[in-house]
Order: sequence, then C-alpha cells, then structure tokens
Amino acid sequence: MTNIDLPAVRTNRVWKVFEQEAEEVTAVRDVSLTIARGEFTALAGPSGSGKTTLLNVIGGLTRATRGQVDVAGQDISEMTNQELARLRLEQVGFVFQAYNLLPVLTALENAEFPMLLQGVDAEERRARVQELFQRTGMDGLEDRRPGKLSGGQQQRVAVVRAVASKPALVLADEPTANLDSASSEALLDMMAELNRDLGVTFVFATHDEHVMERSRRLVRMVDGGIASDEIQE
Amino acid sequence: MRQSQDSPRSSPSHVGIIVRLAFRNLRRQLRRSILTAMAMIVGGWLLIFSFSLGDGVHETWIDSGIRTSGGHVTVEQPEFQLSRKIEDRLSTNIRQRVEQALESPVIKPHVVAVSSRLTVTGLASSSAGSRPARIIAVDPIEEAVFGTIDEQVIDGRYLEPGDELAGYVGRGLIDALDLRLGSRFVVQAQDTEQEIAGQLLRVVGIFETGLSELDQSVIHIPLVTGGAWLGSGRDVTNVGVVLTDSEIVPVVTAYLERDLDTSIATGDAKVMDWQESNPPLSAAIAIDNFGNYLVYGILFIIIAFGIVNTVLMSVLHRRREFGVLQALGLTPGETGAIVLVEGLSLTAISGCLGVGLGLLTTWYFFGDGLDLSSLFPDDNMEFSGVVIDPYVYPLFRGTRLAQVFAFILFIGAVASIYPAVRAATINTVEAMKFDR
Repeated sequence: MTNIDLPAVRTNRVWKVFEQEAEEVTAVRDVSLTIARGEFTALAGPSGSGKTTLLNVIGGLTRATRGQVDVAGQDISEMTNQELARLRLEQVGFVFQAYNLLPVLTALENAEFPMLLQGVDAEERRARVQELFQRTGMDGLEDRRPGKLSGGQQQRVAVVRAVASKPALVLADEPTANLDSASSEALLDMMAELNRDLGVTFVFATHDEHVMERSRRLVRMVDGGIASDEIQE
Repeated sequence: MRQSQDSPRSSPSHVGIIVRLAFRNLRRQLRRSILTAMAMIVGGWLLIFSFSLGDGVHETWIDSGIRTSGGHVTVEQPEFQLSRKIEDRLSTNIRQRVEQALESPVIKPHVVAVSSRLTVTGLASSSAGSRPARIIAVDPIEEAVFGTIDEQVIDGRYLEPGDELAGYVGRGLIDALDLRLGSRFVVQAQDTEQEIAGQLLRVVGIFETGLSELDQSVIHIPLVTGGAWLGSGRDVTNVGVVLTDSEIVPVVTAYLERDLDTSIATGDAKVMDWQESNPPLSAAIAIDNFGNYLVYGILFIIIAFGIVNTVLMSVLHRRREFGVLQALGLTPGETGAIVLVEGLSLTAISGCLGVGLGLLTTWYFFGDGLDLSSLFPDDNMEFSGVVIDPYVYPLFRGTRLAQVFAFILFIGAVASIYPAVRAATINTVEAMKFDR
C-alpha cells in the first residue's frame, strides 16, 4: 500500500485528559476514527464536546494521553517535537477561527510561508499561490498586509496558505465563526471547490449548522466521544 | 494543481526565514526598537569614548612614569631593585647581549629608545652642605631619546658627548646646596671595591620636572665618568627600553627572557616589565581600570535589563504568532531563534552605531586633546614619578574595539536568551488562544 492509499487520518482509541487544578478533565474519550483522503468532514458538537481538542491531537499540536494517531500513514504518538513540527509542515494545513496570519508578512508571503519552510523554489511557490488566489478571488490583494484585509479575505488567505503546500489534510477549526453569512458562504464554496477540484482533504471542527449541512460526512461529538458518524448526501 | 502526496523532501535550512522574520518584527515595532537601540548606542558610545580617554590617560601615565624610571622593560640584576648597590650590577657581557637582542629584526621596530645606566645613591656636597642624591650615569645621546629630563632644563644645557666632569642637577638640589650654573660640587658613593669614592663635578645644566623626588635628588653624569669614578668600567646597573606602545611589552619581555635564559637561570639578570619595576604606577592604573569596569558593568546591567524587558514584552505580545509559527512547522528551537536573532541584531546594529559615534568623538579629540586644566591646581599633580598632564589625549586600540563589540554582543545575547527560551517553550495550543 503506497502513502496515497493510506487514509489521511486514523485514530485508534484516542484519549486526551487534561489536569486542571489536581482534577482530571477528559476532553477526548476513546475516539476511533478513520478519514480517507479527499473527504470533506465536519466534527460537530457543542462547546466542550472535544472537537477542537481532537483536531489539535490529529494535527500534532497536542499529544494524546492514550491511543494511537496516524496521519498520512505515520504514527505520531511517539514523535519528538521536531518530528511533529516536520509532520505539520509536510502533511497538515491549518485554518484557524482567528485567521492567524502573520502580521509582518503580506497576503502573498503568508500564503507562501509553509512552502518557504518546505524549501519549495520561489517560482513554484509563486505559481501555486497565484493560481489559488485567482481561484479564490484574492488576486490583486497579494501585497496587502493582514491588517488591510477584511475578515473574509484574511480567512481566504489562510485557506490558500493551508492548501498551497499540498498537505495530506487541512484541519479547520471553526473557520466561519468570525465571518458574516455572505463571507461564510463564499468561504465554504471555495473550500468545497478546492476539495472537489484538487482533492484536498478537509476536516472541520464546527458548531455552525451551515458548515454541517455542507459537509459530506458529519461526525457528532458529545462529552469527548463520538455520538454519531454519518455520510450526508 | 492536483493534491498529491509528494516524495519526502530534504530538510531545508530555515535560517534565512528566521532572520527575515526577526528583521520584519524589529521594523514592525519600530518605536520600541529605536528606544532600545538608543540605550545600546549610548552605551557603545560611552564605552568607546571613555575607554579611549582612559587608555590615553593611562598611556600618558605609563610613558611619563617609565621615562623617569626604567622604561617599559628593564634588565637588571635581580637584587638591584631592592639593594640599589653597585655590586648588584649587570656585567658588560650581559649589557652587550641585551643591546644586541634589542637589535633583532623582531624587536627593533618596536624599540623607541634604549638607555644603559649606572645608578647609585650617594651624597652630593658643596660648601653649603651635603644632601643625599641619586646619581645616574648615562650616555647623553641615549638618555636624551629615552627620558624627558633633558627637556626640563631651566638653565644651562643637558649632558653632551665628550662631557667628563659634568653634572646635570635638579633645581631642588641646586637650591639646597646653594649651587649655580658652573659651580663645582662633589659626589660620593660606594665604589665596586666597597670603598667610598668621591668625584668632583661642575654644574652644566639645571632641570625642573615638577616631580619633587627627582628635582631634589637626581644628578645625571656621563656614563664614562661614572664608570671611571666607581671602577665599574662599562658595567651598568640596568638597561632600560622604551617601546612604541605598552601593549607590546609582553612580547619584548618574553623575547629578552628567552635570549637571556642562561643569565636569568644563574641569577645574573632579570627582565622586568614596567608593572614589576614600578608597582605603584601599575597599581594606580589597575585601580582606575577596576573603577571604570565597575561603572561600565553596572551601566550595562541596567541596559541589559532594558533589553530583556523590551524583548520579553515583545515575546509576550506575540505569543499567538509564535504559536502559529510552530503550528505551521517551525520547531520550538527555531521559534526561539527568531527572538535571539532579534535581540542580537538590535544590539549588533545599535552597538555598531554607538561604537561609530564613539570613534567619531574620540577622533575629534585626537589632535588637541581634552583640556581639563581648569580642574587642576596651579602646581603639578604627580604620583609615582608621573606628572599628570591636564590635557587628556584619547588613544584608540583595535583590541579595545573588538572587546567592546564582543561585550555588546554578549550583553545582547544574554539579554535575549530568556525571552528566546520563553518563545521556544510556549504551549502552541494555549498560545494560539492568546488574544492581546
């Protein structure tokens, strides 16, 4: 089985327990989940249901307390911090609720940043980002700093940044939470198009009903565990 | 652009990115960067200027002190420094070997003057009375280049080649013995046979250095006269060397010690630098340096805390960014490196500006010096054979520049380490929740 045949994500009986003031709080409870490449999946649930924590565990931003997590066929459970950093760089794209663009870089530089870290040459970086900027209606705004872009525009740049480096999956944590409904709809259209046309694997953590409706697979979480997992038409 | 699984890439170096981000952040926080830089600029300027002045003052002291004593380097018999007796003298053979060694191509370019002297303590007498005297028999030509006492003449002239029964006498001793130019007087001292020997001399010149110790006791006489009078022939009590710069002293001392190793081993000769032959002067400079270093140290600790505060505040305000950088694939160490580069760049650039400013200020005072005469009393200020010049002439040394720059970078590095560690050890998830 080649890497391309392996699922984007596979979790096996994953737990995440936080210690808060001598008390243990279980954020993720015994989650086993497989997400194939090219899926458009939403992890849904109310606040505190563990969806963001699960996303962080899958992205290697925090370590599972128990269980195994494979990303693009690599077991990340025992990876060092350096190896996790390398995995995030090569295999995972992130889209955050608060956009999290680097304020010292222009829109173009932000979008290129992961590829710059990967060592992709300048010509290829520019070509990939220009293509994605045209697809997402961001062309002409390349030289603007994040402070000069609207929330919707910043989130588009964040999506381009996450996608341009060709990761195995893109993890999006409440990507529409700070956007008005029109911007939110446009962003979802854009991500659906990237998923359809480029085969980008998207996993969302969301409590936005609209995102849940647009996703093709909906995993509902309650109290850290999976309550339901269904394919939507 | 179809999504695909690329083959694994080799790990690219992120140094360029780290430096670029560091500089962008410095530019982004321009006002904060400038304020921090100002502290370092002032510090660098102060260090260079005050070191230049201090080194200039010390070099003047050293030059003044060594020219009235044994030079930057002196070779003498080990016991002579304490005994001051003629039996503890250098043989003619050792004297010649020292003089030959100083002709070596390695050493000669650094040698300004060499003077072989026969120094004894004795009694100077006239019809008005007797006074203790330090009688120094010198080669007039060598000594004129070596010392400055020949320039302090207030009546008559300094010794000249061909002089035999001539004495060049300090003003204080002249007054005490009621002498004048052309007067005859007698000097008495123990000779090589340990007998008291007398010598009639005539005053050919009177000097006044401002150093009471010299003016009231020193008499210069021709070396040939001294040798004949005391029966020492061409032997001398010491060979003094004046060098181009006190920095070269260790090199010359080591060279002479190698060349005279046999005589040193047998206890017939000893090579001393000016610190050993003039301990009070050495101590005065060491104390002055200590005071300076203490003040500079305190100053730079204050500056370092300023830098720590600035860089740390910058780190705390940018926690979310550091979290994002790590989420995007920078390692914790690389995140810390951004902060370290910011701190080091800031201190290096501002340090360069400060050092440049210090050099400009130093250059301005090179010619005429800094006039401190209004702070001086009417009489000369002196210590340890040194007359303090009211004009301070700065001295610039390349090694000092390197020291100052290294010190500034060290302060920058030390001040940036803690903020860098803070940036490197953030919790990525928590940091991205941070909202300033």
